[in-house]
Amino acid sequence: MAKSLLIICRQAPWSGPGAREALDIALAGGAFDLPIAMLFLDDGVFQLQPGQHAAPVQQKDLTANLQALPLFGVDALYSSVRSLEERGLLHQALSPATETLNDAALTALLGQYDQVITL
Amino acid sequence: MATLHMLSHSPFSDSRLVSCLRLLGPGDGLLLTGDATYALQPGSAQLQALGLMPDTIALFALEEDLQARAIAAPPRVQVVDYPAFVELCATFAKVNSWL
Amino acid sequence: MKFAIALFSAPHAPSSRRALRFAEAVLAGGHEIVRVFFYQDGVYSAASTPVTPQDEWDTAAAWSALVRDHQLDGVVCIAAALRRGVLNDEEAQRYERDAASLAKPWELSGLGQLHEATQLADRLVCFGGP
Repeated sequence: MAKSLLIICRQAPWSGPGAREALDIALAGGAFDLPIAMLFLDDGVFQLQPGQHAAPVQQKDLTANLQALPLFGVDALYSSVRSLEERGLLHQALSPATETLNDAALTALLGQYDQVITL
Repeated sequence: MATLHMLSHSPFSDSRLVSCLRLLGPGDGLLLTGDATYALQPGSAQLQALGLMPDTIALFALEEDLQARAIAAPPRVQVVDYPAFVELCATFAKVNSWL
Repeated sequence: MKFAIALFSAPHAPSSRRALRFAEAVLAGGHEIVRVFFYQDGVYSAASTPVTPQDEWDTAAAWSALVRDHQLDGVVCIAAALRRGVLNDEEAQRYERDAASLAKPWELSGLGQLHEATQLADRLVCFGGP
């Protein structure tokens, strides 16, 4: 059976190629039909804020790639309640939709995966 | 499945240690490398926070990084060299490096 | 035990040297390294162009020597490498750049190689940051 991989992304979307390169790992794994999940933690939850614009900072739109995750078979998407709450995002509509987990649930989530990459 | 968490950022200028402490489960391990070993600085809030971890969490530090920084390991800390580091990775089910 | 080692930091970062020492200890301990994969700024650790002062430790050169001496499968992410100017002869020609800068034992390939290594290995160990 294929080993499962949890990718924990802590990168804000406009802080350099880090967020995109974390996403690329997920998309590549999804393309190979591997069991991949993504967890947005700390500043990584800023990627989920709707209405962001890539053009003013001359970047490619990360949102399109995030939306593509389920198309690549990566539909297990999670975010940290605490990270969202700290950043005033807990009660906002976010995109793509994620399952929000408290700290205890995050610990349990980590235990479920064979491998983990935190970026 | 127990996880070995590995840190290398200084806890005085970075939030990784705090985030990591919240995710630790029973049986997990925490390995301090590089500037993360500054968390063992005597009298610091960071060392105090590590002391509050349950006894089921094992705490490790890479020997060369302690030596480089003139940090003495408190009794709870197991000091590891590279061969022991490798064996640690084999002992835990997986390794989570906070890059 | 089979290890996959992924490096995300440049050779001047202490974590690149730490990953190298770890890889050496894996081999010395009788374990196997299924692949070393360099991603993000880790691609700089596979560049042939940095010149390290003679009295300083050269992590990139040590990586090349390790991969060569132990005939390891050393793979550098092609997308991350192109973005950072680490090119082999083929890519330098393709993009009409003056010189190739990927050190000899390394190969450029895709992120699929990271996933394959993860599947083949018992443990994935990532190094990056400071």
